[in-house]
Amino acid sequence: MKKFSALLLVLVIALSLAACGGNSGSNSGGDSAGGSSSGGSEKGLQVALCLSGAANDQGWNQTAYEGTVKVCEKYGCSLAYSENLGTADIAAAFADYAASGYDVIIGHGFEFGDPALEVAATYPDVKFICTEADASADNVASFVMACEQTAYVEGIIAANMSKSGKIGGIGPIQGDSLVKIINGFEDGARSVNPDIEVQTAWTNSFTDTQLAQEVAAAMIDSGVDVIKHCANACGNGAMGAAVEAGIWCQGDSYDQSSLAPDNILDSALYNLDIVLDIALTSVVDGSFKGEVYNLGMSDGAVSLLLSDNVPDDVRQIAQTAIDQIISGELQVVRDYTVRN
Amino acid sequence: MLDIILTVSFLSAFFSAAVRLAVPLIYAGLGEIIAEKAGILNIGMEGVMLSGAFFSFAGAWLSGSLFVGLICGMLGGLAVSMLHALLSIRLAKDQSVSGLALNMLMLGVTSFLFKLLSAGQSYQQINTMPTIPLPILCRIPFIGNAFFNRDLLTYLLYILVILTYFFYRRTNLGLSLAAVGEHPRAAESAGINVHRCQWLSMVVNGILGGTGGAYLVLVQLGVFTENMISGRGYIALATVILGRYTPFGMFGAALLFGMANALQIRLQTIGISVSPFLLAMLPYLITLLAMLGTVGKDNRPESLGKAYIKGSR
Repeated sequence: MKKFSALLLVLVIALSLAACGGNSGSNSGGDSAGGSSSGGSEKGLQVALCLSGAANDQGWNQTAYEGTVKVCEKYGCSLAYSENLGTADIAAAFADYAASGYDVIIGHGFEFGDPALEVAATYPDVKFICTEADASADNVASFVMACEQTAYVEGIIAANMSKSGKIGGIGPIQGDSLVKIINGFEDGARSVNPDIEVQTAWTNSFTDTQLAQEVAAAMIDSGVDVIKHCANACGNGAMGAAVEAGIWCQGDSYDQSSLAPDNILDSALYNLDIVLDIALTSVVDGSFKGEVYNLGMSDGAVSLLLSDNVPDDVRQIAQTAIDQIISGELQVVRDYTVRN
Repeated sequence: MLDIILTVSFLSAFFSAAVRLAVPLIYAGLGEIIAEKAGILNIGMEGVMLSGAFFSFAGAWLSGSLFVGLICGMLGGLAVSMLHALLSIRLAKDQSVSGLALNMLMLGVTSFLFKLLSAGQSYQQINTMPTIPLPILCRIPFIGNAFFNRDLLTYLLYILVILTYFFYRRTNLGLSLAAVGEHPRAAESAGINVHRCQWLSMVVNGILGGTGGAYLVLVQLGVFTENMISGRGYIALATVILGRYTPFGMFGAALLFGMANALQIRLQTIGISVSPFLLAMLPYLITLLAMLGTVGKDNRPESLGKAYIKGSR
């Protein structure tokens, strides 16, 4: 009996390992599109995508995954991806992909920059592409999205919609690419009303959904009537609190209108498909350069999806700001320093 | 700053938040007390709660009924605890190793299953349980709204905490369960079936832990997100030690943790210029400081964490 239960346990554990393996293993997508068509490349490139979270997190990572799939279909590339990479595992994952013959390795997030530089020196033939990072070398390029531009316009919308003169911004962890969103939001709101009270708070976690909800509740208790979050999955909690209290909220990364159909004002979209299209095209046509690129609204890299809850006059104001940012008339400051 | 904090509405909202943050901890803590009193250390509480959260969401989502969701959450938690019981009671394996392994296992399993469940669909949400204010009690100033304007699961929890207290003080079975954790050989010689008692306490452990996770989904959030327990299982273990293995002590410890957490997010929104990293340390710091105060009289069951093998000496 004891032996039998031990055997059963081994089986269970092996099964669950297989399940986890399926999680982070390689899935090929779009490999059948064929290289002879639109892409112009002779044979499909092998692309690897590295993510810090789950590919279906309905936010930051899902946009990257779907964007990469789209671009890979266009150019007939084959795609493998790894999820839930902790900071300590990134270099190993990069080296794995590089050693097994992948041509392009994409790291999605500011934390992928340093490991890319580290590994890239060993594999000069492999191209490394990092989003939101500050890394560049001969075969490493970084593509930074001007998320502060969408946040700025969201700040303008929030300040126009707020009746109490108090708005809130909720972030997860104080990383550069998140701090610049919260700061852009604050700047945008102040451009409408210099005296507006902008409350900011950080949950110190990408996953603690209940805490994000409580942060939103604390803001609502003190009179906040518009809440912007950029807190990935745990931001769902913030949206939930806004719905319950009947105040406005602003989504992030993804069209989040189904979470709060009557309360959402807009969702900031980070169009990774366009960013990665620009990045992969440079590899395919040979124009790849190891630089840090800045992509903003004018490139279509970031955009704002307004919901029907936004009244026409505010919609007009927002659209004017968007036009001005695209034309370069309005420069949004990118500020990485945490304010309080 | 103090003039903002010392208002009735601020304090009332603050206590409400503290209770909401504490309830999942108290459910898990209560389950953990019952397991540890019988000598089984379940470090896998994080995994039990995560399983409870996921399966309650899956059950409620697929059936459209919160009650079915709750049952599924309990069963989800129970399954994890049974695995731990099998390893630590039947196979007499190291309980810390088993518990940690279960935490990591359940993180993978729930994320994987959630991926299957949510494939190709947009945000999935369920309606949450309504709050039911208790007449008269909910009008007590400051704390009335916090404690007595809640949902069914929270009221059930108050009853369970009180029942657990009397169970260990007043009933034979309660004494037997506690004896098993203190000195299993003596208990065995007094005619108590040690392993049966331990299995029984692990069943309760799983159901309560699973309910703690289900509370987050069914009452608080209405959504499941990956790794949403975010360390609450470990904090529940700390509240048990801090509360010296008594239901009311643990209740107070969990409330203290909830208050520290509710305070740190409120200080942030007021704009206190302290790094949020420092503020986020606050609940853990309080836990550590409070534990320093309990040196030497921790009330820990004598044979906690040691596997009992029948007939061995």
